[in-house]
Amino acid sequence: MECEIDERWKLVDRIAEETVTYGDGKTTLKDAIAELTVKPLTGLPIALAVLYGFWSFFSAFAGFFTDGFFVRLFDNHWLPWLQGVFPGKGSWYYFILVGDPAAGNSFEAFGMLTSGLFVAIGIVLPAITAFYLYLIILEDSGYMPRLAVLIDTLLHKIGLHGFAIVPMILSLGCNVPGVAATRTLQTKKQRFMMITLLAIFIPCGAQLGVIFSLIPEFAGIILLYLLIGFIFFGFILHKVIPGKSPEILIDIPPYRTPSLENVSKKLWVRTKGFFTTAIPFVLLGVGLVNVLYLGGVIDWLAEALGPLLTTWFGVPKETVGPLVAGFLRKDLAVAQLSAIEMTKYQLISSVVLVNLYFPCIATFIMMMKEGSERGVRGVLEILGGSLLVLATVLFIWGGLLHLIWIMMGVA
Amino acid sequence: MVKKLKDMKFGKKAIVRGIDDELKSKLAGMGIRVGKELTFKTKQPIDGPVVVEVNGSTTSMGIGMADKIKVEVID
Amino acid sequence: MKLLLIGHPNVGKSVLFNRLTGANVTESNYPGTTVDYTKGYMQIDGEEVELIDVPGTFSLDPKDKAEEVAVKMLKDNEDSIVICVIDSTKIERGLYLALEIIEMGYPVVIALNMWDVAKDKDIEIDLQRLRELLGVPVVPTIAVSGWGVKELVSKIKDAKPRDISKIESKVEGTS
Repeated sequence: MECEIDERWKLVDRIAEETVTYGDGKTTLKDAIAELTVKPLTGLPIALAVLYGFWSFFSAFAGFFTDGFFVRLFDNHWLPWLQGVFPGKGSWYYFILVGDPAAGNSFEAFGMLTSGLFVAIGIVLPAITAFYLYLIILEDSGYMPRLAVLIDTLLHKIGLHGFAIVPMILSLGCNVPGVAATRTLQTKKQRFMMITLLAIFIPCGAQLGVIFSLIPEFAGIILLYLLIGFIFFGFILHKVIPGKSPEILIDIPPYRTPSLENVSKKLWVRTKGFFTTAIPFVLLGVGLVNVLYLGGVIDWLAEALGPLLTTWFGVPKETVGPLVAGFLRKDLAVAQLSAIEMTKYQLISSVVLVNLYFPCIATFIMMMKEGSERGVRGVLEILGGSLLVLATVLFIWGGLLHLIWIMMGVA
Repeated sequence: MVKKLKDMKFGKKAIVRGIDDELKSKLAGMGIRVGKELTFKTKQPIDGPVVVEVNGSTTSMGIGMADKIKVEVID
Repeated sequence: MKLLLIGHPNVGKSVLFNRLTGANVTESNYPGTTVDYTKGYMQIDGEEVELIDVPGTFSLDPKDKAEEVAVKMLKDNEDSIVICVIDSTKIERGLYLALEIIEMGYPVVIALNMWDVAKDKDIEIDLQRLRELLGVPVVPTIAVSGWGVKELVSKIKDAKPRDISKIESKVEGTS
């Protein structure tokens, strides 16, 4: 085998010797940037700047469209008009579709056509567009592999490797393509760890959009708590799960100027793909929760789970509704939470809980699909394993936050 | 002077003198092979990966792999 | 007849795929973008032929799942013609992959893509000599602009399995 490799290379070198001549190869600006962005001394600050840029761009872009345009559109025009013309105030279908007839903004009305549409179009669409635009430029320029090299030092300590940054960042847009991207990792162990960790700890773009738009002052602390959890439980999983954690070995392509055509095409494809699945789920989510309210199921669940929620996690029992909705759409759940009356610490806790607990249904299906390549056993392994980790993490990490509040004297 | 790839200083050039067998096939496709000249670009701190250039292609590999490659520094 | 599009990650394979099939696959500048394979159809002399865009691979000794898919695609489609896409600025390691495929007995056409980038970098490639030594069609292409794609299509029929020892003796004979 070794012989074969050496011989093949010998042949290649002979052929190349005869047919290829290299010029003096000037150093271009792109080459210089290529060096700077991968050397730790300059690369790490640049990476931080790039990520900070991501953050600022995301909140500025999303804020501009949501607050500057969609809030006015929905609150001043859509909602009053709908409340005026929609028949059957006080009926069950009015409650499900329009929600509270006295609501002054689209957000608190809580009908499928009011809050449902507002969350999907007014908040999530700008957020997801901003996210993908920035990400696609990073992808097409060739920055991602450099980021992978820089972060490898940290990620390899928890059994992953630098290239895991790709599924991680993709998951910040939507967990579904994130799960699919774990295929670039080498071993079963790495893939399982990555799928589990991202389903638990990484909030999707829709959820981030809602967090940034409704509770921007807590975004930092929520994300930081999740990130620490990611690393902490990643380290534990690495120690507990058997299997290999091979090292990084990647090709670093030269920088390229992203082409307008490819960027816009990708942005269109991804936003559209996201949107066509998101809208039905958001609307369904609002509808389902409203139906459950009407049927008294939410109140019953709130009573049943109340003690657990209030004593262990320190959040009000009214959070049951959003938690149920969270299975369909996490963005929706966060939006619903922000409408419930509670202290800011309880709000932080409950947003963290929505994040940690059950992955949304689309991610859940994607996880099953990944497992299914190894048959029923694969599905059971990935779901059983992930859910076991998830339950453990939820109780420990969710409970710990409550404990922190208690020790700070604010719970 | 023959040393391990991971012990190289950055900016230096070297000829690859030996690669552990298990690693050989993995690296072959990336263009890294015995007898070839490479440039050591950088090394990340705390046992992070190294970055090398061969024939104009840049490759990053974990420190454990760089431990299994022997090189002769020429510049 | 089936066609397989094989090459390293990031050599413009997806762009070429779009050019050949009129499909709309997007690409990114990092390895492993295409984890699943993509299928499309193209016309050769009025005949409809299936073309598969295989995930980028560095060699046929897979080191991750995307590369495993590539190897499996080859083994599952033994009667295919392979279009091996090579980055003209990194011709050596591209040839290494091409030789691996030729050794397995597949008829191969080589597309030397990013030909313009190689020109910019003052890399000169003696196409005529390369064709002689390898004994397979070699076509320079610039997938992003579409340059050379027509010629590539016209050369697909000329691909024939090539005995590696013949290449070896050709190379020996001249040095």
